Amino acid sequence: MISLWTAIWIVPTLVCNRIQFDPDFPPEVPVSETKHLPGQTDRPSESAGAVRLTSLVKRFGDHVVVNDVSMDVAAGEVVAIIGPSGAGKSTLLRCINLLERPDSGIVDVAGIQFDAATPVSGKDLARLRRHVGMVFQSFNLFPHLTVLRNVALPQERVLGISRTEAEEKAIRLLDRVGLKDKAKQYPGRCSGGQQQRIAIARALALGPQIMLFDEPTSALDPELGLEVLAVMRELAAEGMTMAVVTHEMHFARDVSDHLVVMADGAILEEGDPDRIFTDPEQPRTRQFLRAVLDR
Amino acid sequence: MNEILLTILAGVPITLLLTAGALVVGVLGGIPLVAARQSRAAILRLPARATIELLRGIPPIVWLFIIFFGLGTYVRLDAMSAAAIGLGLISCAYLAEIYRGGLAAIAKGQWEASAALGMPRTATLTRVIGPQVGRVCIPAAASYAIGLLKDTSVAFTIGVTEILYWANDQSRETSDAFWPFVLAAVVYIVMTIPCAWAARALDASLRKRVAR
Repeated sequence: MISLWTAIWIVPTLVCNRIQFDPDFPPEVPVSETKHLPGQTDRPSESAGAVRLTSLVKRFGDHVVVNDVSMDVAAGEVVAIIGPSGAGKSTLLRCINLLERPDSGIVDVAGIQFDAATPVSGKDLARLRRHVGMVFQSFNLFPHLTVLRNVALPQERVLGISRTEAEEKAIRLLDRVGLKDKAKQYPGRCSGGQQQRIAIARALALGPQIMLFDEPTSALDPELGLEVLAVMRELAAEGMTMAVVTHEMHFARDVSDHLVVMADGAILEEGDPDRIFTDPEQPRTRQFLRAVLDR
Repeated sequence: MNEILLTILAGVPITLLLTAGALVVGVLGGIPLVAARQSRAAILRLPARATIELLRGIPPIVWLFIIFFGLGTYVRLDAMSAAAIGLGLISCAYLAEIYRGGLAAIAKGQWEASAALGMPRTATLTRVIGPQVGRVCIPAAASYAIGLLKDTSVAFTIGVTEILYWANDQSRETSDAFWPFVLAAVVYIVMTIPCAWAARALDASLRKRVAR
């Protein structure tokens, strides 16, 4: 009996590190040491807070979703990524915080460099994600926690600060997104726009240098989308480095410093948003813009 | 008639104790079992699957005989412990499968959000995923618990003094093969139906707080 119990209890506990409930969680984290490329630790250089993607390739089976894409986001810059669905925009964005592991290429975020060819240690992954906040199309708030706890819990677990301190900061951030009065509610009682603003507060609470937005308003009706966009505009005005995958063309044009147009896993063209909106170089860009703007 | 009923009722605490014991073993033991079952490492996954199939594939009464009479020849084991261990182990397997279903029901976005926030794995499991899985599993676990309450009657075969034991006792004593068993049936139904109601109410109140 004793040995059976040992088998049932102890063995899984010992190898807890191998436990995986979801095939995508955590993204492949092989055990070997990460090989750092020369001169690439947490360097607080002029490129701090910036993203550099080099020759990124991501396949799902035989399907190449991101095909040899290189892209930069400078510190304090807002980059909007637009393009038809299936263009690989979201996948590209998810490669920045390694929610998707690229099959080849280099991800350089906040001075931490990851080569797709080299395994990433859990420690490096944690370091990367501390620098990068992410907002999802489907909000992904924790439904069993109050709004306040949603914003406070990650701080406690990631930054290791006390509950009181985390909740004070959570209140400040909720106030900032205009939802202080919702602190004691559960997310299920909030509108989509409110949930998305809470999700933004939750990400900001960890003090990221870069914020990724994956179609943050696509699940919202237009009116509710506006309140989310307003928060994002504010954030951009404060100098946050942002990469935004969006179908909001006004936002892309007005707020972004740099526009990236993607189709079929590649960048069609990129540059000044006004220039691209008024005079796109590529016929495919023109076709896409006409389709989205003429409705 | 009254006397028969009173005697049968004497078995109720034993039935409840056995149910609770087996359920506690199952609820806790099911966690490492599902963890191993879902492990990426085949060395954990395959034995866990085998254990689950083995526990579920053999009738409870056979397990109780193996443990009480079989193991009992080597280890001193009273009937109550043997029954609790046997039903407890079987419960581990069933609850592990219930947990597995619960895990599958949790929206992928919950894992992704936790990962993107950089939450450590333990915190993700214990603070984000675990509580939601617990909630999703309540209906299935409750109907399993009700089934278990009824299944404790097999412990009668190894001499545990639960409800059926006393019903049988009274049947022999009074030479009445009808009323003692009918009364036992009534006692069981009076216990199971409120449990089902309670489970449904609990589920309804927790349902909204899970992302699926």
